[in-house]
Amino acid sequence: MKLTRRNFIATVVGGVAGIQVTPLPWKFTDDVAIWTQNWPWVPVPPTGEFSEVSSVCNLCPGGCGISVRKVDNRAVKIEGRPDYPVNAGGICPVGMGGLQLLYNESLRFTGPMKRVGMRGSGEFQNISWDDAFRIIAGRISALRKSGRPEAIAAVDGNREGTTASALIERLMQAVGSPNYVRLPSLSDTYRMGNIVMEGRDAPVAYDLENSDFVLSFGCGLLEGWGAPGRVMNAWGMWHDANPAKRKTHIVQVESRASNTASKADLWVAPRPGTDAALALGLAHVIIRSGKYDAGFVAEHTFGFEDWQSTDGRPHSGFKTLVLKNYSPEQVSKITGVRPDVMVKLAAAFRLAKAPVAIYGKGKNDLNGSLYEFMAVQSLNALTGRINRPGGVLLPDPIPLNPLPYFERDDIASQGLKKPRLDRGGTQEYPFTQSLISNFADAINRSPKSPIDTLMVFSANPAFTLPDGGAFKNALAKIPFVVSFSPYRDETANMADLILPDCTYLEKMDDMVWPVGLQYPFYGLSKPVVKPIYDTRNCGDTVIEMAKAIGESVGSAFPWEGFEDVVKERAKGLYDAGGGRVSFDRAAPAWKPQNPKAGDKPGYNSFDDMWKKLMAGGLWYRPLDQAREWPWLFKTPSGQFEFYSQLIDQAIQRASAKDLRIAVRDDAACMAHYATPTSTANRSDYPLSMMPYEMINLASGWIPSPPFLYKTLPDTQLLKETSFAAVNPKTAAKYGLKQGDLVAVQSPVGEVQARIDLFGGAMPDIVYMPVGFGHTGYDEFLKGKGVNPNAIVQAEQDPVTGYPVWWNTRVKLVKV
Amino acid sequence: MDSVLLPHGVKRCSPWAFFFWTLPWLGLMAWGGLSAFLCLWKGLNQTNMSNVFAFALWIVFDLAVIALGAGAFFTGFLTYIIGKKELKNIINTAVIVGFICYSGAMAMLGIDIGQPIRGWFIFWHANIHSMLVEVSFCITCYLMVLAIEFIPIILENRKLEEIKELRLFGHNLHEIMAVFAATGTFLSFFHQGSLGGMFGVMYARPFAAREGFYIWPWTFFLFVLSAVACGPCFTILCTKLTEFLTRKKLVPDSAIQLLAKISAWLLSLYIVLKIFDYLAWIYGVVPRAGLTFESFFREGPYGIWLVVCEMVFCGILPAIILMTPQARKNQGWLIVACLLTCIGIVLNRFLFIIVTLAIPVMPFDRFWGYLPTWQEWGIGLAVVGYGFLVFSLAYRYLPVFPKERELNPVAGS
Amino acid sequence: MKKENDHGKPGHKYGMVINLDKCTGCGTCMVACAAENNVSVRPDQSDKERVITWMRLYRITNGKEFPDTEVSYFPRPCMHCDHHPPCVSVCVATATKLDFHTGIVSQIYTRCIGCRYCQAACPYGARYFNWWDAYFPKGKGLDRYLSPEVSPRMRGVVEKCTFCHHRLMRAKSQAYAEDRREIEEDQYQTACTEACPAGAITFGDLNNPEHQVSKLTKHPFTFRLLERIGTEPKVYYQSSRDWVRKLGDNFLPGEYQPVVNKTWMKEEWSTKPGRDTF
Repeated sequence: MKLTRRNFIATVVGGVAGIQVTPLPWKFTDDVAIWTQNWPWVPVPPTGEFSEVSSVCNLCPGGCGISVRKVDNRAVKIEGRPDYPVNAGGICPVGMGGLQLLYNESLRFTGPMKRVGMRGSGEFQNISWDDAFRIIAGRISALRKSGRPEAIAAVDGNREGTTASALIERLMQAVGSPNYVRLPSLSDTYRMGNIVMEGRDAPVAYDLENSDFVLSFGCGLLEGWGAPGRVMNAWGMWHDANPAKRKTHIVQVESRASNTASKADLWVAPRPGTDAALALGLAHVIIRSGKYDAGFVAEHTFGFEDWQSTDGRPHSGFKTLVLKNYSPEQVSKITGVRPDVMVKLAAAFRLAKAPVAIYGKGKNDLNGSLYEFMAVQSLNALTGRINRPGGVLLPDPIPLNPLPYFERDDIASQGLKKPRLDRGGTQEYPFTQSLISNFADAINRSPKSPIDTLMVFSANPAFTLPDGGAFKNALAKIPFVVSFSPYRDETANMADLILPDCTYLEKMDDMVWPVGLQYPFYGLSKPVVKPIYDTRNCGDTVIEMAKAIGESVGSAFPWEGFEDVVKERAKGLYDAGGGRVSFDRAAPAWKPQNPKAGDKPGYNSFDDMWKKLMAGGLWYRPLDQAREWPWLFKTPSGQFEFYSQLIDQAIQRASAKDLRIAVRDDAACMAHYATPTSTANRSDYPLSMMPYEMINLASGWIPSPPFLYKTLPDTQLLKETSFAAVNPKTAAKYGLKQGDLVAVQSPVGEVQARIDLFGGAMPDIVYMPVGFGHTGYDEFLKGKGVNPNAIVQAEQDPVTGYPVWWNTRVKLVKV
Repeated sequence: MDSVLLPHGVKRCSPWAFFFWTLPWLGLMAWGGLSAFLCLWKGLNQTNMSNVFAFALWIVFDLAVIALGAGAFFTGFLTYIIGKKELKNIINTAVIVGFICYSGAMAMLGIDIGQPIRGWFIFWHANIHSMLVEVSFCITCYLMVLAIEFIPIILENRKLEEIKELRLFGHNLHEIMAVFAATGTFLSFFHQGSLGGMFGVMYARPFAAREGFYIWPWTFFLFVLSAVACGPCFTILCTKLTEFLTRKKLVPDSAIQLLAKISAWLLSLYIVLKIFDYLAWIYGVVPRAGLTFESFFREGPYGIWLVVCEMVFCGILPAIILMTPQARKNQGWLIVACLLTCIGIVLNRFLFIIVTLAIPVMPFDRFWGYLPTWQEWGIGLAVVGYGFLVFSLAYRYLPVFPKERELNPVAGS
Repeated sequence: MKKENDHGKPGHKYGMVINLDKCTGCGTCMVACAAENNVSVRPDQSDKERVITWMRLYRITNGKEFPDTEVSYFPRPCMHCDHHPPCVSVCVATATKLDFHTGIVSQIYTRCIGCRYCQAACPYGARYFNWWDAYFPKGKGLDRYLSPEVSPRMRGVVEKCTFCHHRLMRAKSQAYAEDRREIEEDQYQTACTEACPAGAITFGDLNNPEHQVSKLTKHPFTFRLLERIGTEPKVYYQSSRDWVRKLGDNFLPGEYQPVVNKTWMKEEWSTKPGRDTF
């Protein structure tokens, strides 16, 4: 047949028509539908053998037990461990989302690196571990040789008492630099409060589970205070569905209707920074009623009644001070809390069987104020709630072995004699171990940075410090910065050298006494998966680094690796005896248990205990009974001191003014309230800004798993903008509506946020969430919202010198 | 150039003028084509639809054009089943408009679903309890019926008519058109109703929920009634628009008036029933759910004014106009009334779709607003462009208006 | 009326009771749910109209002025409506069904055509459409944490809470392997239930009087969301606070009957909110 146009058309049309009566169209329709069900770009998670690995969550000082589900070598889900004393099954959202911190390549450093781009640009180049050690060891050795070991500094974000922290401190000692700087946290405030009032250098232990009335001064019980797994578990126990059956009542003292304040049985809202006045107001009511625990006060306290010192000088006691200055009416003027509320609250507190007043400021990440802690602790002492079940307990410290003594060389000895850059422990800051704000300040003030090489461990001070950006500026001035962070955080982006740590799921690490826990607890995490990148446990890196420096530094680290050190310290747990390495849910650790004769600890040798400790990840000593009174308080008077003689001595050495104490005479040594000073002009900056923390947003050095952003309402973050919560009345005063973009200006800077009208915000205060505004990390976190720390202008807290971050004067300018 | 294709004895503009006339419509279709490509390629994130506004602009367009296209089946019903002979003058227009509306709606639905390739699962895995399945079945079948009804009109083209077989085929189709009209009526009754039923059965959405008869909520019947009331109005509007654009009289007044009169009665009946529906809903369904009529309109841009417009200005008012013979006979009033009727029905569909979804049911949820993206507008307007284009082509090349030659004698023919 | 299964025994009816007094609003349930069920996380999670949260925490306030303001939270999974679920009857492709043996409302992703009628019909907003392809960019390796027990969804389909149906399957396989016919209460628990650090969620078989949920649903403080619409949700809530309970449904003025309530500061029973004010 000849191919004509007509034939061609006929063939095509006929062909197309013909195909319609074949099964082809049906087959095709079916096939493409099957294709949509198996699109190649939709991931198909490979299956394999399922297993569960027990470990401990190390993302915060809470120390929750976790169980990680694995499929072959992949970790696919984190869950809380019901067989763990701290959290009993639940965990917090950050811990729950932890796998997104492990398996996100653009969030992490995949191996040792050196900087190639501009500082802060986050451009790095891979190097080998050998090269990395050569660079850092060479630099440290050179500084030591030139007799300037003090120009080496370390910023350590690990909790005090952990093995990692002990190794880093030891490294600094061996190298010969006094500039070992820790990040301030609530634990430091607790520690200092315990020193000045009880003479005990120990963490605070609140027996919440056995209390029937928890009066929380600012603790973000539901915002992540303490060990979140433990506190929220207790919260569940406290809240029986029937309020009539409810045994424990919670009163929250806080200026904002946080989750804790809202969910508490009662919310009392004093102005920020006036908690001390409120606590003393309650003390006033109790003293005036005469119903305080006179027995406890008489037997175990010092400075309640007026007294005379050995030189014959008369002193007024706590009672006189409180009765004179803190009547409900006077306190009401300071705090804004109605006098009748105080009267009723004081009565409720006094009448409860086992009340406890606890002190905090949001989470544990930031410090509190010493005098506020003292005021709250005075309330506990007044009602005899110290060393009593359901009150404030004074357990013995964890019996970990100290690291062995080592010999320093001359360079180190000379270097350690140099003054600390942050002036911690001097007459001006007698109880403060380290003070990172002074450290940054000293660098910023000098024309040339006195620090040559800074090492940053487990910390992101460029983001987390409420210092108005001071540390970030200091960082830019320091010639050489080394970061050990596993994550591409703001501080690491400013570093010249990266020696990446493993994430918490890839390494062994220990957890010493979660904040606020009432019984001694030691947790041990283990690698759930093998390190997925070329990273090393920071503890190993420190040992390796010391060996690379060599000489006396190397010989101070005789261990093969980190695990040896942990084991050596843990030996102390075995030697002390009485601890347990497994947990039975039926016998919660907080339930007072009298150890029966013949009770076996569950292990028969140290090796056995170590094996079980590694497997279970826990060691604890269940709550037994109250301590014996004699020798309990190690203060000069041997009593609980309403009037702190240690503060008195500190004032004798320096002066109240040098210690930044606003009041004079006896009041300076006791809990008191003083109006905070601020250099900012009230008429220029009519409002104050208070950063607030949330449990579903990480605000410390750990990045937030992106899962958390699902939980945030769009009145906290919308696209790239975060919100500042303002009372509708305050907003009306400045003509601001919901969603308006404003500049929040403080004397030190400005950030832009949207207005969220929130009835639960105290009028005239701007509340900004902490945890937004990252410039590091990846697209999930970068550039979302603003970091209120950047505009904080903080005065120094009396005595301690820590920043008063909750009181920055600001103004709002509509954009 | 194309003169051999034009119908006998009528005047048409020059090919160039026609070409320029089609440009804007081709432009709309190109915009729509780009939008459709983006939506199919990148997914429905190209739209401003959301988990709140699961149905949005496209569904409003769909329901609106399907209601407006109801002129086709209803006119067919009147012409072939009831035997209103004068409507033969307008039946072609009604069929073409209907075809445009339904095919446009189908195309839009194809893009609206998240998995167009699996669209046929509706038939394969049909859930007989779903009103939307009923809609899909009936619309698909009815579109075929419309295509069959459209074929004889196409075959009347001068060139095609020259082919004997086609002519015979077309003629025979004409003869049995009553069968298709009846089928179309049956199918249309059910899908128009099911479209209403779709919303009435959402018993957990008090704004849309209605009680009813057996499995059919009242919206089922109201949607049928409103569609047959506005369908003829839309046919009249299309005719009047064509007459205006061509500056010719194309359909005898008797046909228009008959349609308008029928529409008037149906619209009046609909409005009366709709008032009862509103009352029964306000005093029945709504308070049972713990809500009040006003509570639906407490926030957001969608206020009670929408209901007032729907019922008073676009319901009672055009019903009165159309019921009044003097007003109906006035060209201006007739067009205003038809326009208002059509707007009223679109408003009704808008209320059932957008406002239903914008109103939160959980007391702690919030009111949401919605604005379409350019992609959504593109696809919606492409249907308009498509309609103009197809109708223009039909007018130019097919004897759509049988009385055109008679009413507009061309000199010299 | 109890549906009977093939064996002639009453079927299971899995349900949940969420204690809103215990709920701390921490969001662990949401994270646990997303992590367990391979829910996609896009860089912008603030677009609440399009973000996928099978379990969603709704923040509510009592609307009072400072300092009487309170916030609370409604964790909202799929309600697994027991009576004629609004979404099931409307689904065109039979992609969602109520399983009479378990009471679970399922969703078949490979059959869903994405018409979203179910979303329009659901008053709880419990259904989520995949507006985008799941976000697992090359090179990030986020897909490494995906669980093989739940298939990731493709773009263009609707997904929702399944009461962690795969966990039921897991428990069933376990029971089968151990030659047991019945699944114990603690062997099938949803991810959110296990994760809740305050133990606010209780999960179990509502048809089994021994299960904790069956007891809790009888408490006077127990209520359900939008109960009067008649969807018969199998998710129950408990709160001692009147204003919270009142937000669980729509009420005409005067309709809401406060549950008589004993508050801790005043010893008498009162109808005040469950929280005292001085």
